[in-house]
Amino acid sequence: MRAAFGIARKELSVYFTTPVAWVVLVVVAFFSAEFFTGALEGFRFLTTRALQLHSSGLLDRMNLTDMVVARLFGSVALFLLITAPFLSMRLLAEERRASTFELLMTTPVRPAEIVLGKYLASLGVLLASLLIVAAYPALLAVLGAGAAGGGAVEWATVATGVLGLFLLGAMALAVGLFFSALTDTPVVAALLSLLVLLGLWVATMFTIGAGEPLRNLAEALSASEHLAGFLQGRIVLSDVLYYLSLATLGLFLADRAVEAWRCRSAGA
Amino acid sequence: MIEVRGLTKRYRDVVAVEDLSFTVGKGEIVGLLGPNGAGKTTTMRVLTGFLPATSGTARIAGFDVFESPLEVKRRVGYLPETPPLYDPMTVREYLRFVCDLKALPRRSAAGEVERVAVRTGVTDVLDRLAGSLSKGYRQRVGLAQALLGDPEVLVLDEPTVGLDPLQIREVRELIRSFAGRHTVLLSTHILPEVAMTCQKVLVLNGGRLIDHDTLDGLVGRHLPGRRVTLADVAFLEEVYGKILGAAPGARA
Repeated sequence: MRAAFGIARKELSVYFTTPVAWVVLVVVAFFSAEFFTGALEGFRFLTTRALQLHSSGLLDRMNLTDMVVARLFGSVALFLLITAPFLSMRLLAEERRASTFELLMTTPVRPAEIVLGKYLASLGVLLASLLIVAAYPALLAVLGAGAAGGGAVEWATVATGVLGLFLLGAMALAVGLFFSALTDTPVVAALLSLLVLLGLWVATMFTIGAGEPLRNLAEALSASEHLAGFLQGRIVLSDVLYYLSLATLGLFLADRAVEAWRCRSAGA
Repeated sequence: MIEVRGLTKRYRDVVAVEDLSFTVGKGEIVGLLGPNGAGKTTTMRVLTGFLPATSGTARIAGFDVFESPLEVKRRVGYLPETPPLYDPMTVREYLRFVCDLKALPRRSAAGEVERVAVRTGVTDVLDRLAGSLSKGYRQRVGLAQALLGDPEVLVLDEPTVGLDPLQIREVRELIRSFAGRHTVLLSTHILPEVAMTCQKVLVLNGGRLIDHDTLDGLVGRHLPGRRVTLADVAFLEEVYGKILGAAPGARA
């Protein structure tokens, strides 16, 4: 475990001394700011319309948490999915290209510790980008107030939303780590993981017009369907298990792939 | 300390090392000599647990390389062909990182980094980024990394490559100072290097061990009647040529 933490520390310092993590954080910050102001504008528009129509029933059902925060989280999710492959792409692929892989494999470190250390570092960057995203509901809570005098946001729903985003990101990074172990070219790793992750994200689109069993399967596999519950403030066991099992599968396969490197690393 | 029996390594249909057997005693400094492509690097990679052998066994300090790789890796310091540095890290960060990989006690890590830095002469670049170092410094940082934790066995793949003549002399002196305390296996394709640092020589060619003796022994057998003087480089090269030429099935 000592080695795993050492690797995690090293990867984190590499993340933040090279532009990778900063670019990812900027991308997340930029788009979440964009989505946040967009969702807020939409909310304002709807409230004024509802006031004009004197529809108090509609007004009662409108709230910042569902209409701004959940919408923001839903849009940010796609960007977490798109940026994750760029965080994970070089983690293992670069070691293999450089001679440093020989160092890792000849010091008393298990492949599982290498994979775990790298994964922990990428989770660190994920947490940092989630902090940026979580700043927006905090902003609402500070500057806004609920209609009945309470807080502007429902923290429980925000928390499940952040948890959902974290699980989604953790799954994406594990998948990316696996592809990073498969190739020695980071860009190839990024493109392959992007393909798989976006495929999972829009899985239900492949079965539009198809029959029942296929549609159910697509829904069960879809990364976006499983996020919906979290955004509505529900923690559903099957959703949690979906992300955790895909993450575990990714890490397990990455571990196997690292183990297999040695047999394939033919050279001089 | 190092015991190799019938070691064979094949990459698909290419045989890199064939039926290699040798032993290195505790505290000995042994040179692995041979032309490029002779199987030196492959042999070292198998010994350090980086590559699995196709057949045969290798034991280090009594532990089988294939059966207890972690025990072996704890006892071996390895300098690969290309120094394994991370360009965005400073030398100090890098050496601390290797301490973590080797699971050295955290309390002594800083002192250990100082110790190897002094021994390899890299103290003045400790806070520079590895990416900005010259080839000679990279090689010495690679050597420093291998020395961390004071391992019983050192496996050094062409330790003096890329160094200028003065640095070469320093590194050779450093390696000679390991005699008795560390068991060293180093590879080179330069015979004078072996003459100046090693007590014994293993000559590899085409993946096979073609000779195995002390330097005096080699000279005595291949050029009887001549006396060894270390400065006589041309003479040593002549011995080398004879060894490669005389070997049965040699492809030199």
